[in-house]
Amino acid sequence: MTRLALRNLFQSRARLAISVGGVALALMLILALDAVVGWIEARVTAYIDTSGADVWVSQEGVRNMHMASSSFSSSLASGVARVDGVESVTPILYLTNVVEAGPERAVAYIIGLPDRALAGTPSVIRSGGANPGRGGAVIDQGIAEASGIGLGDTVQILGEEFDVVGLSAGTASLTNSIAFISSTDFAGLLANPRVASFLLVRLEPGASAEEVARRIESQVRGVTAQTREEFAAQERKVVRDMSTDLMAIMNLVGFLIGLAVMSLTVYTATLGRRAEYGMLKALGAHNRDLYLTVGVQALVSVALGLAVGLMFTLGLAAIMPLFSANLGLQIRAAALGKAGVAALTFAGASALLPIRQIRGLDPALVFRRR
Amino acid sequence: MLIAQRNLTQEKTRLALSVGGVALAIMLVLILDGLLVGMFRQITAYLDHSKASIIVAQGGVQNLLGATSLLPPGTDDRVAGITGVNDVVPILSRFVILDLHGKKQPVYLIGYSVEIGGGPWEIAEGREPRTDREMVFDRVLAERHGLGIGDLVAVMDKDFRIVGLSAGTASWMTSFIFLRKPAVEELLRAPGATSYLLVSVRDGQPPEAVRDRIGRLDDLEVMLKSEMAANDSRLFGRFFSAPVRLMTGIAFLVGALVVGLVIYTATVERQREYGVLKALGARNRLLYQVVLAQALLAAILGTVLGMGLARAAGTLIMAARPQFLVVLQADMTGRAVVIGLGMALVAALLPARVVARLAPAEVFRR
Repeated sequence: MTRLALRNLFQSRARLAISVGGVALALMLILALDAVVGWIEARVTAYIDTSGADVWVSQEGVRNMHMASSSFSSSLASGVARVDGVESVTPILYLTNVVEAGPERAVAYIIGLPDRALAGTPSVIRSGGANPGRGGAVIDQGIAEASGIGLGDTVQILGEEFDVVGLSAGTASLTNSIAFISSTDFAGLLANPRVASFLLVRLEPGASAEEVARRIESQVRGVTAQTREEFAAQERKVVRDMSTDLMAIMNLVGFLIGLAVMSLTVYTATLGRRAEYGMLKALGAHNRDLYLTVGVQALVSVALGLAVGLMFTLGLAAIMPLFSANLGLQIRAAALGKAGVAALTFAGASALLPIRQIRGLDPALVFRRR
Repeated sequence: MLIAQRNLTQEKTRLALSVGGVALAIMLVLILDGLLVGMFRQITAYLDHSKASIIVAQGGVQNLLGATSLLPPGTDDRVAGITGVNDVVPILSRFVILDLHGKKQPVYLIGYSVEIGGGPWEIAEGREPRTDREMVFDRVLAERHGLGIGDLVAVMDKDFRIVGLSAGTASWMTSFIFLRKPAVEELLRAPGATSYLLVSVRDGQPPEAVRDRIGRLDDLEVMLKSEMAANDSRLFGRFFSAPVRLMTGIAFLVGALVVGLVIYTATVERQREYGVLKALGARNRLLYQVVLAQALLAAILGTVLGMGLARAAGTLIMAARPQFLVVLQADMTGRAVVIGLGMALVAALLPARVVARLAPAEVFRR
């Protein structure tokens, strides 16, 4: 029966291509969207991961950077520096603003760095320096290239002009880039210059980040302290929680598409072979055997669809960097599992539809002329 | 046409599947479009409901939601003194993340003056804040998290009591919450700070002329309200249009695949009949018309059904998830029809090939 199913399946190449293509499209929708979110989740923490800070200190109740706001008195930095296990404290300022480079305007996280910052500087510098200094700015290389500017050119940030002194890499995402200016310049533009947004804490060798974070919270009032990993996890959670509803809709769309295509192809394939199935019944085949044939066809179709869908997604992930440096795909194991379950559901549901047809099939049908 | 109709309607389940396939695809396209239009409406809701016609922001900032604006101190007085300006409403706004029942919820925080304006445009329940520890919370977000009047919500390092619930301030991505401006200044450690000025003009004054006059002041970005709303739509449209277009494309392909498969199967099954027609002298053109007419019939029926389904699905989505706004506009009907016809044309290609290759002698074999 398995052989019969396979021969049935491969005999009509057009139908096979439609069913495999439809399932592949549906599963690709599920896989690609999850992969985009996976990539954004990974990229959204790039600055945190490479900041060099072991502990992040923010305004009490603030647990992440993305779409968040954190402000506290910069004098708290000295209190944090006195906590056991703390080697250095780098206060940074942070706001979402716009980098105007030539005719281009791009939304950017603006980071204000103190002179000789021990943490928080851009980790990869393509040209120039990592320290912006007074009147200088380090901007993302991709943004600079898109605007046709380079070292020594002028950009506008927070409404003021800055000279580009460094070009960084890995500091841009789908939504924004990161630009670095000096804390002194930044503070001059704030209503209250004596504030910090975050304190980046480096630890003495051997100190536990968890313990130091708890000590900071208990000894310094008005702050929340988290290890780098905790802070990055909170950041990923923002992306995940924001995309949950959208993902649910997309997954439902992909699921409905896959289900519709598979049900239709299996149903029409069975319909087209009524005479053959009638012949098998006339020769003594049980309904069970025919169900198996239909089931195997559905299973093989979705397995092929899953493979093609995965190949499409991998191909998309490979070519995406050629089109956009700010968007990528990171395929996750959980999404593969989800796509696999969806594929099995497509196969199961689509095989159920023709059961009534097969059960009601008259073996004598084969002897009639259409 | 009669042959096409009979071919198509003879097998009821197959007809239902093809019409259902097109309807599903059309419904998807319309719902996705409706979600996108709804999202743009939600994004610009605050500006749309503001009485101001001009928005003043920090130099270089052209969005309300996309970037943080910090105006130089004293800007409100300077703007108020300009000819043609009727009144100036300062607001201090910022995105913040709330932790609600273990979920991260971005909200757009607006600090405003109850006396001057800039707050919620519709209070569904309760009242506006009277103290710096009170807030107006978005009604939909409150319902999703089981919050109501009198409940406390932590915003950064302070707790605020909900005294009012606002309507029309929700979106699936972010919702608006309203505090008194001094409360936001305290939260942001920015005494006296202002993000934007909402400027209305005197009767008879053209907003463009007043905008240009304000624009002569240094370090400011001055825009008509409609210009800033368009900038916000463009910014968010850049993030969301691509995935929606991708899904619309996939929905179109699926619709075409479904109709194509049904017509293809029907054509293959009726090869002998088509052979007879050819043997009797029918030209390929006539047979193409039969195939195309079947595809068109399925597509038209599916499009009509799809439009009805989209309306029902939109109502269902908004009832189940009130943060989503699905706006189905009249012009979308025309687009749905064009898409449906496009599906029919694409779907007819494969069966037409089968018919074209058919030898008239086929009918005499077996």
